[in-house]
Amino acid sequence: MEQVLKLRNLKVVFPTDYGLIRAVEGIDLDIYDRECVALVGESGSGKSVTSQAVMRLLGSPPSLVRVDVLEFDGRDLTRCTEKEMQEIRGKEMAMIFQDAMTSLNPVMTVGRQIDEVYIRHEGDSKQAAREKTVKALELIGIPEPGERANAFPHQLSGGMRQRVLLAMAFACMPKLIIADEPTTALDVTIQAQVLKTLRGMQKGCGTSLLLVTHDLSVVASIADRVYVMYAGKIVEKAPVEDLFIKPHHPYTVGLMAAVPTLTDEKKKFTQIPGTVPSPVNKPSGCYFHPRCEYATERCRREMPSLVPVGQGREVRCFHPLSVEGGKSSE
Amino acid sequence: MSDIITLQNVSVHFPVWGFLPFLKKGEIQAVSDVSLRIGRGEIFGIVGESGCGKTTLANTMVGFVKPTAGKVLFEGVDLSSLPRQEFKKVRRRMQMIFQDPFSSLNPRFNVYQIVSEPMLIRGEDDEESMKARVVELLEMVGLSSGDLYRYPSDFSGGQRQRIGIARAISLNPSFLVCDEPVSALDVSIHAQILNLLLELQEKLNLTYVFISHNLADVKKLCDRLAVMYLGKVMEAGNSDKIFAKPLHPYTQALMAAVLNIDFSGKREIAVLPGDTPSPIDPPPGCRFWQRCPKAMRGCKDVPPEYVEVEEDHVVACHLVNGFPKTELPDGYDQPLVRSEKTVKVRR
Repeated sequence: MEQVLKLRNLKVVFPTDYGLIRAVEGIDLDIYDRECVALVGESGSGKSVTSQAVMRLLGSPPSLVRVDVLEFDGRDLTRCTEKEMQEIRGKEMAMIFQDAMTSLNPVMTVGRQIDEVYIRHEGDSKQAAREKTVKALELIGIPEPGERANAFPHQLSGGMRQRVLLAMAFACMPKLIIADEPTTALDVTIQAQVLKTLRGMQKGCGTSLLLVTHDLSVVASIADRVYVMYAGKIVEKAPVEDLFIKPHHPYTVGLMAAVPTLTDEKKKFTQIPGTVPSPVNKPSGCYFHPRCEYATERCRREMPSLVPVGQGREVRCFHPLSVEGGKSSE
Repeated sequence: MSDIITLQNVSVHFPVWGFLPFLKKGEIQAVSDVSLRIGRGEIFGIVGESGCGKTTLANTMVGFVKPTAGKVLFEGVDLSSLPRQEFKKVRRRMQMIFQDPFSSLNPRFNVYQIVSEPMLIRGEDDEESMKARVVELLEMVGLSSGDLYRYPSDFSGGQRQRIGIARAISLNPSFLVCDEPVSALDVSIHAQILNLLLELQEKLNLTYVFISHNLADVKKLCDRLAVMYLGKVMEAGNSDKIFAKPLHPYTQALMAAVLNIDFSGKREIAVLPGDTPSPIDPPPGCRFWQRCPKAMRGCKDVPPEYVEVEEDHVVACHLVNGFPKTELPDGYDQPLVRSEKTVKVRR
């Protein structure tokens, strides 16, 4: 399988008055052709920073980015000039942001905002671009696309705006789309619609997708492979089915238990104690040990390394669990 | 079990003003003709998509919004009939927890000021006893006395929500409205806050109205619930009964839209097509007919009535209850064939 993205040892720090914020601490990421890879983590885990670093959107200052390898579609992005990056962004690599209301320009019709992509990247005339825009809007499932193209963002509903962003991202049929929490701001029914469209478009257009989210149920419904992040490090990596059937890292187990489902009959909510550590002041040893019920003396002193367990799986834990049906057998 | 809140045919309409002053363009029927009762010590869920009027309904319950029609009874007393001073006394016993812990706390107040403000308003002036009470409240919600003089910006989202909860229970209320209290929080913090709410309910003998769009949370938490769509209650009653046998197509669609994380079945996303239509001058019939997968021709014009299908389980749907025996349009019970345009949309 062709590799679309290869990322090795990405480190991002933000120097601040309070100390160094180590947002991302050495992340490896591989995305292959036509694959949907999910990057899961809570706020402050560094997942959004990682996705922005991949597109080279992080300004320096304020950030300091170190990366050993950043290859996209066989090209070394670290050597690209800003001008070359502008050619790549939007055309070969596109991004869908969480909040459609703030990422769309409120004083431009949505049609014009999509037109821009075609005019900029494909050199189309205004008329040709608009024709393509209407076609793109229709493809994404927007009713009456010709009229909707002349609407301003505030005239559309939340789900519709998110679809406009999808249409914009898929406009040039890019190789890779990064979706940063694409459905977090939406209602459940609209979330299902958007996810279905996203998956359909991704399969139909043959793009790869990097899905950044904190919602495991979204991951379970559309991802192929999953990276779980915690406090700037990857703690578990696995194909989606293996991860959900048999999670190894205690954090993954906790996250999964925290997702309430309709089939669950218990009246109490399963919780992970404590909070995500502050990025300036991370604990010693394994970053998860203060919240981990299996933590030992070794976890408090040493940071475990990411070790392979089984095919395509890696876990960063001294005491990986093997959990099936919610019961630990360690 | 006596009822703490009774809603009798409550409607809340907001006028939409046109370009010229005093020229009304239309009316947003945020809540129309809702009758519910909430028992003491109950957790009552209100579920629905954004724009369905669930927040407006909750605001009406605590008197933030005056109903355009109908009555809100708190322990049998009509809120709108009370003189201002009396209302203020009753109002103390109902409190609210807001959705966004980042905008509902004053960033220039420290925790002590935030939590003690309701007591100050009540007219308490003994600094010592107030401080003791604030510390007690903070400990109740899982914070410590060391946090007393810190500011909201020092806390994480989950901790801020805890401060909001401490403020809400500071006057010993008996009725608490939780307006999507966890939707702005991280997954792992979700459960902590919901468990805290459950714990407090037991300890302080509270009644909750829990607003949410997450059915899985509602199922675990609530004793009774109401499913709302475009200002109307579609289905209401005992939570176990509704989840065991959802009768309204909208309830069924909402339940199907909850994504699953178990891999026993196929990975399929169930989709309810379309968007919530505008609540300005809605259709006379069933409000859900435009998106209903089982709509019949009569649904558009004939409003469904509330029928109690079993004890404490009310549904408003022609499919379940049958059409009333009045003048009906021809072929009212035939499946609705959507117009060419709509069919195209659904492709």
